[in-house]
Amino acid sequence: MVTAFLFTALFVCMLIGMPVAFSLGLASVLSIILFSSDSLASIALKFFQNTSTKYVLLAVPFFILSSVFLTTGGVARRLIRFATALVGHVRGGLAMASVLACMFFAAVSGSSPATVAAIGSICIAAMVRAGYSQSMATGVVMNAGTLGILIPPSIVMIVYAAATEVSAAKMFMAGFVPGILIGLMLLVTIYVVARIRRLPALPFAGLGEIASAGFGALGGLLLIVLVLGAIYGGIASPTEAAAVSAVYAFLVAVCGHRDMGPVRGAPWRKVDETLPSAFARNLALTAKGILWSPFDGEVRHAVLEGAKVSIMLLFVIANAMLFAHVLTTERIPHTIAEMVTDAGLSPWMFLVVVNVLLLVAGNFMEPSGVILIMAPILFPIALELGIDPIHLGIIMVVNMEIGLLTPPVGLNLFVAAGITRQSLLWAAKAALPWLAVLLTALIIITYVPSISLFLPELLEQWRIGSAQP
Amino acid sequence: MTAWLYRLEEGVIALLLVALTLLVFFEVVLRFGFGTGFLWAQEVSLYLGAWFILVGASYALREGAHIAVDAVVNLLDGTVKRVVAAIAVASSLLYCGILMTAAWAYLERLFQLGIEMEDVALPRWIGQSCLFLGFALLALRLALLLVAIVRGRADGFKHLDEAAEALDALAHQAPEASGREAGRR
Repeated sequence: MVTAFLFTALFVCMLIGMPVAFSLGLASVLSIILFSSDSLASIALKFFQNTSTKYVLLAVPFFILSSVFLTTGGVARRLIRFATALVGHVRGGLAMASVLACMFFAAVSGSSPATVAAIGSICIAAMVRAGYSQSMATGVVMNAGTLGILIPPSIVMIVYAAATEVSAAKMFMAGFVPGILIGLMLLVTIYVVARIRRLPALPFAGLGEIASAGFGALGGLLLIVLVLGAIYGGIASPTEAAAVSAVYAFLVAVCGHRDMGPVRGAPWRKVDETLPSAFARNLALTAKGILWSPFDGEVRHAVLEGAKVSIMLLFVIANAMLFAHVLTTERIPHTIAEMVTDAGLSPWMFLVVVNVLLLVAGNFMEPSGVILIMAPILFPIALELGIDPIHLGIIMVVNMEIGLLTPPVGLNLFVAAGITRQSLLWAAKAALPWLAVLLTALIIITYVPSISLFLPELLEQWRIGSAQP
Repeated sequence: MTAWLYRLEEGVIALLLVALTLLVFFEVVLRFGFGTGFLWAQEVSLYLGAWFILVGASYALREGAHIAVDAVVNLLDGTVKRVVAAIAVASSLLYCGILMTAAWAYLERLFQLGIEMEDVALPRWIGQSCLFLGFALLALRLALLLVAIVRGRADGFKHLDEAAEALDALAHQAPEASGREAGRR
């Protein structure tokens, strides 16, 4: 009864166009008021807790802020140049370079739409100019862009960690190999298509260009080492690493590349400038870059941009947690878990159900919301059936990747449609053939748990090994 | 006047986010660089996060950042669309109203109990007052939106979303990239 009301209210609210966050919140508070004896004050207490007890969720605004600075600060452009120098000379090289650039960017940002926007805005046009069809160019970038939430850091993994009390650092480790796997599968598929369709290859850029592009991309590549190293090495929590990454991204964009902010465009060394004077000038410029930033329009715009996206996501999360709270107090996950175990579902059949359920849910809601609602339901069942919680998390994330490419709420489709000025439906069609690669990967990752679990287990052993030499 | 208030709102939001980031950042630097830290850092950063989300919710509505499923609503047009939008906004107001009442009851209880925050010498009800403030601000914006819809000046929440945000960020991207685009056309 309560369950029926809860879900009906949610769907009606969403159908009439209420924002997802408000729909989740209204359905939950109405259920509490109508069917439970909880006081109003306890709802407020719960809501405040939702916004302020999960330290790990603070990583969300930090990673978003860092993505904004990396995109506006020209880091994305440098990563693309490096990727093109590396693989551009292979047949279909430009498409491969886009996938590689998406993988690099995914390793510094935690969001898929941000990855598609950062890489797609430059790569799609470049591919079309080089003679690729626009739908292929867009399809490749949209699919590779979904790696943003699988290759760590990942906002969706942070949300899963918050919902299930699983370690976010472990999730980050588990996402690495599946992310590389999907990236490689896309690269191989592109190579095959390129051979068949005789797609163009660029001339070999030369070792000089590789070195110089690599040096330019160093700012972004070092961030990968910094964030992943800190988390994998167990030095910093994901939240702390995220804060460091946000500050680092700001410094690289404003003081390093100088593509935005108060010292925009200032050269590192002018012609005929002596080294000491260049050093002094750059020191002064760096100080100016930091001190003047609060008054700079571009920097303020970037911060507000990050704030907007963060607030939207965190508000959905807070309300989805209220929704999950109603589910748990009604013992819904428990009931469903009993039903599933009574029905004698084997683990692999359960995983089929999980995949179908998540693929459908992913079509209608934004990934964080789906994870927060579905994780409390699926988690206890998975434990009962002996499925590793980390593995379940990775399966959920890969499902969400596919959800990002299917209408009506496929965020990557919106971004790609915006970049190419095409319709949403056109973007969905462009993504379709490449979706087969993701679906194949989903099946492999679902039924071969060791792809996800191999790296976290290995690192665990190392740490134990080094603790007792 | 409105422009000034908008600037103030943006300033507060940006300040909250930057303060939050820098607090966690310096906490890490102090811990690893100097082996010390602030005892109060964790609690303050969690409270800052709550203020950021709750006060920001209304700002996000103004910017049309709250994501929604508008596929169905977009099939409608004219008066029907406006009526549905009015119902959606009114329901959102109901949601805010319930949470405002709840927040008031909760804060009143905290006020009567008179307990302080854990590591900061501040009454807890002040620290958590963003709960009421946030939903009040959100309700204010929704009420204005409802008036606009009734008068026929709007026909829905202004739906932007993460996608549109990402695109907007592009418009402000490095000059070389956009210059190249322009050169192509």
